[in-house]
Amino acid sequence: MADLPVVEAHSLTKSYGLHRGIDDLDFTVEPGEVFGLLGPNGAGKTTTIRLLLDLIRPTSGSVRVLGASPRSGSALRRRIGYLPGDLRLYDRLTGRAQLTYFAGLRGLDGLGRAEELAERLDVELDRPLKTLSKGNRQKVGIVLAFMHDPELLILDEPTSGLDPLVQQLVYGLLDETRKAGRTVLISSHVLPEVQRVADRVALLRDGRLVLEDTVEALRAHALVRITVTLAEPATPDAFASIPGVRELDRRDRTIVFGLQGEPDALVKALATHHIVGLESREADLEDVFLALYQEPVDAA
Amino acid sequence: MPRSVVTRTLRDGFRSFVGFAAYIILMVAAIVAIYPSIGHNPSLNKLVKSYPGTLKAFLGFGGVVDYSTATGYLGIELFSLVLPALMIAAAVAAGARAIAGEEEQQTLDLLLANPISRRRVVLEKAAAVAALVTLLAIVAFASLAISTAAAGLNINTGHLAAAAAATGLLGLLYGSIALAIGAASGRRGLALAVAGAAAGAAYIANALGSLVSALKPLRDASPFYQYGTVDPLRHGLTFAHATPLAVGTIVFIAAAVTAFTRRDLT
Repeated sequence: MADLPVVEAHSLTKSYGLHRGIDDLDFTVEPGEVFGLLGPNGAGKTTTIRLLLDLIRPTSGSVRVLGASPRSGSALRRRIGYLPGDLRLYDRLTGRAQLTYFAGLRGLDGLGRAEELAERLDVELDRPLKTLSKGNRQKVGIVLAFMHDPELLILDEPTSGLDPLVQQLVYGLLDETRKAGRTVLISSHVLPEVQRVADRVALLRDGRLVLEDTVEALRAHALVRITVTLAEPATPDAFASIPGVRELDRRDRTIVFGLQGEPDALVKALATHHIVGLESREADLEDVFLALYQEPVDAA
Repeated sequence: MPRSVVTRTLRDGFRSFVGFAAYIILMVAAIVAIYPSIGHNPSLNKLVKSYPGTLKAFLGFGGVVDYSTATGYLGIELFSLVLPALMIAAAVAAGARAIAGEEEQQTLDLLLANPISRRRVVLEKAAAVAALVTLLAIVAFASLAISTAAAGLNINTGHLAAAAAATGLLGLLYGSIALAIGAASGRRGLALAVAGAAAGAAYIANALGSLVSALKPLRDASPFYQYGTVDPLRHGLTFAHATPLAVGTIVFIAAAVTAFTRRDLT
């Protein structure tokens, strides 16, 4: 049992009339890993997640969660914790009443871990939810997802609306969850977040799986943007044949390179020029896509 | 604090319950209170008896228009339209809110991520609607019993209970229609409109069917006919007339379960 994939999608497809859905997804989430579902808004992350929870049904293909079909029955969801992407709580209730309600539906004794989690995240429990800020409501949603110590956590953009300090607390919770051998599926449109928490990543775009790989490998695909300003304009083909380097943009004396892999060759080529400015930026999601779409990716 | 869908839903519907209960109590008290000045007024009764048939068909309850007795008066003033309309309004509002209201507020995703089946959610919501309507029927009965006793009207208490129960059954039928439309579509406005229109059409069909013989089959199919024809105020509730209302309710709740378990949530 422990070795079976926690989530296993085969040719998973959901089409909506004119809307975008997801198309022919194959991926697996292994036990004990944090799996990141990465992609821009509208790529199909939420659709995929809602299929796992049986909130919507696939048009074709299949998915198994913790060894069972999501449709197999409600007992499966006892083992899952879920945070929706567009979190809506019962606005008229207090945080405590909301937690009590769902703890009851889950058959928990009291509030489960909710009190402890609420304290750690500094959640205001005794005011009506509608009076709380988006960030504070999101914290209640996170407590709801974690309070029963589920085997599988499905978190749709969990840190949206949270301030950086609370984001770190959530990352800490995810680290603990992984250490306890539980599995996490997290969606995000922010690469640094996925790099911070995930072991493996599936990259979605327009409902298709572009890549499923480890975070390390993904980073290797990513372009680092290096912007160089020279004292004198360089000849057009001065940097044309450096392996792993592409000129993305050139304006007068300023050149933007996209670098994949080691910077050594580029640095040595640049060394023959007088450099007045140098800036390097870590790859963000856009750059990953840039790298993926400008070169064929053998891993995909 | 509520820990199940039934108790949570009842708790959420509490304000609505208080509003409808207050309305029922006030209407009953006011209408019963003015009876002594009307019931002993022969000219008024003569006037009512001379109403055109069309008007009588809409006013009448159990096929009689008679102000000279307390039961006749209450039938016309409360049971032909006012109480069933209030009961239907409360039930339809609750039925439409049950699934579609929660879906429109987008709390359904989170609710259904709990280990609770869609079938159970619908059944618990239906139970909450039924409980609300039952409580309102009890309020109607209690206020009728107290008001009529205070006004010194001689009405069989059992028949009052039967008539209040009949309004509850009628309300439940339309509440379950609203529940089913809401569960199938996720749209609260649509559920309100369809159930409300169905109730209005049934009321009119019942009235017109007693005037125009060609419309009689339509009348016989109208839940309002099933509800009123036996005149529960005079004769109590009969199995034959309560059954179609109850069976209809069960059919629509079953339809709600079927539709809701099959579809994608928005």
